[in-house]
Amino acid sequence: MALVLHTYKGNKGAFKALVAAEYAGVKIEEAADFQMGVTNKSPEFLKMNPIGKVPVLETPEGPIFESNAIARYVSRKNGENSLNGSSLIEYAQIEQWIDFSSLEIDANMLKWFAPRMGYAPFSAPAEEAAISALKRGLEALNTHLASNTYLVGHSVTLADIVTICNLNLGFATVMTKKFTSAFPHVERYFWTMVNQPNFKKVLGDAKQTDAVPPVPTKKAAAQPAKPKEEPKKAAPAAEAPKAAEEEEAPKPKAKNPLDLLPPSPMVLDDWKRLYSNTKSNFREVAIKGFWDMYDPEGYSLWFCDYKYNDENMVSFVTLNKVGGFLQRMDLARKYAFGKMLICGSEGPFKVKGLWIFRGPEIPKFIMDEVYDMELYEWTKVDISDEAQKERVSQMIEDAEPFEGEALLDAKCFK
Amino acid sequence: MALVLHTYKGNKGAFKALVAAEYAGVKIEEAADFQMGVTNKSPEFLKMNPIGKVPVLETPEGAIFESNAIARYVSRKNGENSLNGSSLIEYAQIEQWIDFSSLEIDANMLKWFAPRLGYAPFSAPAEEAAISALKRGLEALNTHLASNTYLVGHSVTLADIVTICNLNLGFATVMTKKFTSAFPHVERYFWTMVNQPNFKKVLGDAKQTDAVPPVPTKKAAAQPAKPKEEPKKAVQLLHLLIRE
Repeated sequence: MALVLHTYKGNKGAFKALVAAEYAGVKIEEAADFQMGVTNKSPEFLKMNPIGKVPVLETPEGPIFESNAIARYVSRKNGENSLNGSSLIEYAQIEQWIDFSSLEIDANMLKWFAPRMGYAPFSAPAEEAAISALKRGLEALNTHLASNTYLVGHSVTLADIVTICNLNLGFATVMTKKFTSAFPHVERYFWTMVNQPNFKKVLGDAKQTDAVPPVPTKKAAAQPAKPKEEPKKAAPAAEAPKAAEEEEAPKPKAKNPLDLLPPSPMVLDDWKRLYSNTKSNFREVAIKGFWDMYDPEGYSLWFCDYKYNDENMVSFVTLNKVGGFLQRMDLARKYAFGKMLICGSEGPFKVKGLWIFRGPEIPKFIMDEVYDMELYEWTKVDISDEAQKERVSQMIEDAEPFEGEALLDAKCFK
Repeated sequence: MALVLHTYKGNKGAFKALVAAEYAGVKIEEAADFQMGVTNKSPEFLKMNPIGKVPVLETPEGAIFESNAIARYVSRKNGENSLNGSSLIEYAQIEQWIDFSSLEIDANMLKWFAPRLGYAPFSAPAEEAAISALKRGLEALNTHLASNTYLVGHSVTLADIVTICNLNLGFATVMTKKFTSAFPHVERYFWTMVNQPNFKKVLGDAKQTDAVPPVPTKKAAAQPAKPKEEPKKAVQLLHLLIRE
């Protein structure tokens, strides 16, 4: 029985094993008909790897998961060779660079890349920290490579194979020439290695991205699903990897259930026009007009309170957070109007919102698509309660002070 | 020249090497006068580890950094033993669990813990994602341990040493009984292993935290600076986190 590698094409983790196989003279078959998100969810697959990730190597003696472990197995399959060093200390230093490149380079590069591709929640401070940590790792690697052609010893070892495969993904996706030019020895090392025949055979023509992928908006940001084990390459590789470990079903262009509600005398666009066009006597004209046109059968009013106000210490970060939420609400524009008030004269700022939605409940498609919704406590407004009605009015008109506090900002979704 | 381990006391990374040393019969000296944030910034130290993190093992033949790599070295220092399995497949599966416990358990546990201690920027969605990923890893581990006493084979291997040291930090800091009760086989595995003499000698009495540390406020949250090298509090617990 051959060694069978279960993976989608273009998986950086699989490349490590395949390059090692070239050096070690080991034959590996790639599993035919592997379907990312399907095959790796089957009971047979989960017996091989209970977490259901790829790659997995099937051997006659049993399966192995974790790409570095697979590469180690492959490197030793045909007995002695130079991939694992020629002494205990060399072996240990090969292991140190394997771990270093996974934890200091790859992990931080993924923390930069994955959120921008929508595979994880995006946060500017977290990205900054990840880039800073990545630079620190590359600095250290650069220092070592200033006086070393290879990571350990005088020829390619498993440490180089793992590190180059990790760097290859980084170069292809987020690390532009401008970024890597601060690490000239790493650049020299990278381009020399990817042009070695055994690397080229597996990796193809290595490319460096021209630009960092943009920060996600709308749909992409709205789904910070579980972290994927392989990010998509930004470069148009011939075999673009299916990055997600779960197949994402294509968004059905189904009819929105809100369109099927009985017609309402209130037209949301009319309210939005009234809100926008009223320049003076706002309370007498716009607020009065709102309550005149409001249809409690066809629409519902909701208060929302951010659950984690204690983290809102920095004003512009807080405003960006709310701005991001409103961007992600874009898919609901036809069915919603909202006001988000950021209250307080200093941190922690309190984020309080007022929303009107078509229908008697918060629409399910909004709860499903906009992850920010879970970060707020939602309470339906009881319009028979005058105090609650007044609170609605105050939030629409940006009353200040609001509940005893100054407003840092009031953002409108219309 | 003995093997000298440079680290602050209580470093989970150092524990891996020390427990492996107990099993492999290897003698390790801990460097005297090590001062976190001072010693590891010196030129001599940076020659050993250019990124300046701990632990680092100084050997007569050269220096090794990265705690898993140090543990691997120590496990092989005295030749053959059962720590690395008795076949190529066992060796590979030991390596798979070492990497799994570092990438799926430890990395996610740290993403939960570090921001709450102010060592990294706190973000509720990111924490939620980290906890979700941690649960996914623990689920898989739980499934495997339902029918396995040890991770690989029928005795303690390096995979157990690394995994238990990682879990020990998690149990002590963020993973309450309520949280771990969803993974009963992991609990069984953890408590059995930490009570083995070679583990107990190094880890001491393993404890499980009663509560998750609170989300940082004001100063701590307003400064999502580089992870600190010295904890503000004198509580030994915090030393468990810092790698650098």
